[in-house]
Amino acid sequence: MMTNGVVQANIFGIKDWVTPYKIAVLALLYEMATTKPMALLDRRRLNKLILPLQQGSDLTFEQFLKTVEECCPLMVEAVKRRLFLMADRELQDMEHFFAILPSAFSDSEAFKTSVVGLFMRQMLLAYNKLSFSQVYKLYRSLQQYSQRGGRLTSNEDTKIFFLYQTFNNDENKAMKPAKLQDELNNILKFNPDFAEAHYLSYLNSMRVQDIYISTHSLLHYFDRLILSGGEGKSSGDEGYGRSLRYAVLNLATLHCRFGHYQQADLALQEAIRIAQEANDHVCLQHCLSWLYTLEQMKGSDSVVLTEDSVKMAAHFCLPYLASLGIQSLVQQGALHGMSANKLLDALRGTDIMHWKQSLSELIDISLAQTASIWRMYGKSTMARQQAQLLLNMNSLEPVNFGVQQNNTEPFAIALCHLAELHAEQGLYGAVSDIIKHLKQQFPPHTQHAKLWMLSDLKIQFEKAMNDGRYHLAEPYVTAISALNTTEGLYRKAQLLKALNQTSEASKILQRVQNLSEKSKNTEMIIRVMLATAELHWDSSGFATALPLLLQALALARQHNLQSLESETILHLAFTQLMLGIPEQALALVQDVLECVLAHGSVLDKARALLLTARCQAMLAVSAPEEQRMHAVELAVQTLGESAVYFSHLNCKLRLREVYYLQARLHHSLGNIQERNKSALLFRLLNQELPPATNMAVPQL
Amino acid sequence: MAALSVELQDLVGVKQQLVKIQEQCRERGLVHSAKWASELAFALNPLPLNKLPSPPELTEEDAQDLDALCLAKSYFDLKEYDRAAYFLRGCRSQKAYFLYMYSRYLSGEKKKDDETVDSLGPLEKGQVRNEALRELRVELSKKHSAGELDGFSLYLYGVVLRKLDLLKEAVDIFVAATHALPLHWGAWLELCNLITNIEMLKSLSLPDCWVRDFFMAHMYTELQMIKEALQKYQSLMEAGFAKSTYIISQIAVAYHNIRDIDQALDLFNELREQDPFRIENMDTFSNLLYVRSMKPELSYLAHNLVEIDKYRVETCCVIGNYYSLRSQHEKAALYFQRALKLNPRCLGAWTLMGHEYMEMKNTSAAIQAYRHAIEVNKRDYRAWYGLGQTYEILKMPFYSLYYYRKAHQLRPNDSRMLVALGECYEKLSQQVEAKKCYWRAYSVGDVERMALLKLAKLHEQLNESDDAAQSYIIYIQDIFSCGEQLEHAEVSTALRYLGQYYFKNKLYDEASLCAQRCCDYNDAREEGKALLRQISAVREQGEPSSTDLSLPSVFNPLSSNTTPVRRVSPLDLSSVTP
Repeated sequence: MMTNGVVQANIFGIKDWVTPYKIAVLALLYEMATTKPMALLDRRRLNKLILPLQQGSDLTFEQFLKTVEECCPLMVEAVKRRLFLMADRELQDMEHFFAILPSAFSDSEAFKTSVVGLFMRQMLLAYNKLSFSQVYKLYRSLQQYSQRGGRLTSNEDTKIFFLYQTFNNDENKAMKPAKLQDELNNILKFNPDFAEAHYLSYLNSMRVQDIYISTHSLLHYFDRLILSGGEGKSSGDEGYGRSLRYAVLNLATLHCRFGHYQQADLALQEAIRIAQEANDHVCLQHCLSWLYTLEQMKGSDSVVLTEDSVKMAAHFCLPYLASLGIQSLVQQGALHGMSANKLLDALRGTDIMHWKQSLSELIDISLAQTASIWRMYGKSTMARQQAQLLLNMNSLEPVNFGVQQNNTEPFAIALCHLAELHAEQGLYGAVSDIIKHLKQQFPPHTQHAKLWMLSDLKIQFEKAMNDGRYHLAEPYVTAISALNTTEGLYRKAQLLKALNQTSEASKILQRVQNLSEKSKNTEMIIRVMLATAELHWDSSGFATALPLLLQALALARQHNLQSLESETILHLAFTQLMLGIPEQALALVQDVLECVLAHGSVLDKARALLLTARCQAMLAVSAPEEQRMHAVELAVQTLGESAVYFSHLNCKLRLREVYYLQARLHHSLGNIQERNKSALLFRLLNQELPPATNMAVPQL
Repeated sequence: MAALSVELQDLVGVKQQLVKIQEQCRERGLVHSAKWASELAFALNPLPLNKLPSPPELTEEDAQDLDALCLAKSYFDLKEYDRAAYFLRGCRSQKAYFLYMYSRYLSGEKKKDDETVDSLGPLEKGQVRNEALRELRVELSKKHSAGELDGFSLYLYGVVLRKLDLLKEAVDIFVAATHALPLHWGAWLELCNLITNIEMLKSLSLPDCWVRDFFMAHMYTELQMIKEALQKYQSLMEAGFAKSTYIISQIAVAYHNIRDIDQALDLFNELREQDPFRIENMDTFSNLLYVRSMKPELSYLAHNLVEIDKYRVETCCVIGNYYSLRSQHEKAALYFQRALKLNPRCLGAWTLMGHEYMEMKNTSAAIQAYRHAIEVNKRDYRAWYGLGQTYEILKMPFYSLYYYRKAHQLRPNDSRMLVALGECYEKLSQQVEAKKCYWRAYSVGDVERMALLKLAKLHEQLNESDDAAQSYIIYIQDIFSCGEQLEHAEVSTALRYLGQYYFKNKLYDEASLCAQRCCDYNDAREEGKALLRQISAVREQGEPSSTDLSLPSVFNPLSSNTTPVRRVSPLDLSSVTP
């Protein structure tokens, strides 16, 4: 702390100054002490009011009167009278008020050490310290306060509080970043000691991903905090050193957010070192949880660290950190193929604790995580349900109880899942609504915007591919690559495959394989295997595709990835069909058909049915004469169902195939009319679409 | 040679202009500009009687306002600004109008300062502002758009705008003011405070007048373009201002900024001879004395200044420095605080106070002081550097990197920041960065001559013996070529290492040379002797000294991934005499 009055602002805290509002509170206290006969209920209500009035930030005169009036209308009149008595007459009346103030309390037991007594003595002390001109100024501001309900002395304090609140509740309702920054700069210009404004500026510049200003503001905030920490209640080494540790830790998180892993690592090490030196276990736990987060972001294995963190956090009774760690473990476990029941059990266990402690943030995360896990396992219904649950939840926080705080990452994730799930069902209208909402909630410059951008692009890409409009898909590939390299490469391979550029596609798939093996992205590995198998089909290497598919199947089973598993089985069945064993193929398809129809996307359903129909048709050829007609009819029926799904997606390429098959089957049945109808449909589509390059080898 | 304005050929004309302008400034209460003009005028030869400028012609309006103006000016001089403004309110002449507005402005400023002391708590403190500014701005802008403002009023308008933080507008107005009245130094100075970089300076269209050369020189000093500034001042001196104390002091400050201490000290001594009662810039002088640890001189200066005026910011700073040099840091801090009470915007005092708190191990107070300094001037590299040091003392090297980087940005060619950065990187085990920093520090001219030693030690740690040897060689050369004895010089360490290095590489002649040199130093004597014995033992065994010059790579270009070190032959050492 500075001595000798060089820095006056820091000698007293904000609370230790007399303001007109505080005089009003004092007047209320005085009236309460002197009015002896009072209704018990009124008195109780007033007593309950004292603490919030005393500790809250300054209110305007009207607000103050209104609050008191709600408790006791009689008292308002008395307080008003007393204040006007002071304000409307002379300076002397205020002096008089402060002179008689102690006498009102002298006989009450509340005088010396109670909250009220301390407050009053503090105010008296502060008042007595004022110089002549300061007293006069106080008097003038009291006049303004009581007459015009005028300006508050400490309005910047409230302003910051207000800004911070809006910022915390809903980023989008807060001011635009540029305007908020202007406002903050303005506040800081006149009051550079205002540390909180620096912190807000840090948050604000994080919003727009401005590393320069955010670093600057963060460091400035802590420079200032260190000062106020030295003089406050937590005086001595404790408070001061503490803010130092958290300063470095915050710097580390800042670098983490900007993806400067090396810098973050160095900062974190420093934080850990000084926290160790100071034996600050709580801070160390925070460091540890950031350490595993950092490791995870860097893509290395951090299970051991996370486990340690959970154990230690539990030991030091830090529920937030502990369950954050468990959630992180669950995430990693899910990616590494841990058994599903264990994961969901762990999540449920932490959920119970979250609800007990009202950790609404963690509840959100947990719900979003469950949705993601279900989705990964291929249970779309469960995923949808969890996502809906999250969206319909109300915040538990007392500040904005009942208000949905829907601009956090879990919400973004849940909404993205919903969008993708709807897209799978071909409900593009709903998808565009969701994306529009996301765009509004998470404007493109914000932290979580990348999530929906990627989802949006993936959906658009799939749609273009289904429609067979490959030229439209190409720009999406570039955009996806910008957001996620592996995903982008995979999509590029898909596009090349569709364009029959097999060798390029194969090269890229090889690269994706290497990349995803390095990052242990099992889902991607399986998908790449499937895509490679499809490439083998194109070159009629059905036998070579088999081992690859079996490998993929094993992987999918090991990781409980049901949707990928059924996809792989469909691939296997198709291969077998092509290898001329339709009985086996049909058996396989029928095994997974139920699952696909229950959870799969429309495209999957259609493809599975088409495959079934093919198998049935093939079998019909070899079936005995009397059953043949029946078997073919069955195939026609399945084909019809498949056609419905394909037309739902408007998947013309595949429809053409279906119509062709239908026409052939009808022909063999002798249904001339039906045959002609199908043939006409085929012809119409065939004219519209580019000529089929490879009709001989059908697709799955 | 920087080209000067043509008008400077005509010194008599210049002098006439100066005499005239200082009179005008004085009439309007612009004391600082008047002082500047008079100082320059004093440096030129006196004018003969017939060349003296005639008193300005009075207009009818001037004559009417004369009495009111005289009265108001007297009040103004007595700092009774409201009273002065009251009596000037109806006046028509330009001069009276300026004084009227200026009084109102100063009155507002004075009240603001008084209010700050009596504020009702920290939150109100920020809200104290000069209430007169808004009204003044409205009135002045009306007059300005009507084109009725003269050079002085334009200057005042600019000041008002600057105080209201309308910086862009202020720059335009100040440029206009310099065009209207190029000789008014105040307008140039204000402009100087608003220009932040050289591009901005180049983009302004300034009047083509000889004052502009002074301005450019001043500007170059501010922008740390010391070479250009010195050139400009040199040519100004040659043009006839050789006797000007203003220029001498400016050159001295410039030398101080590039840490050419000897030159700066000489100039300050000369300045004190010419102008013994001068207080301005003496804080800079004391900084130099402090750096050189010249206790008696500093003590003399302090006593002298106290006799002249003890309630001046500069005096307090000098005394603070004096106490600091005597390691009485509490007292030093006290005097810096006094300086700040006299002028809260005194940048140097904040930084110096930060240093004192650092010495007292009061890190949080030091941080606060430095932060204040940065608030006053964001470009104060010493405060950034101080913050970095503070955090380094708190064992937070990564945290301090940011501050050192800031300081380095402001002074890219200052080796101290680079060495500090290097040390931080070394502590963070970022050897590659550390090596870069040390090498760069040496390349930009290492003031403390520590960079090479640190670089060599770093190489030594990393077992890069060739690079280490190279660095030590250059270090030794560097130490001896600079001629002065440095306290922390570690020539013995370097020689010891080199001895061992040559010995290992079987260059016995060089090794023994190094070992002999080692014996000149107390701490390395034993090792030197031991090495000599080893060498003679090996030689007796008849092992030939390696003559293959390509083998030890001191002679070879170093591998490309290491720092490029100038190649030297080890025989250069023979020329080195301690």
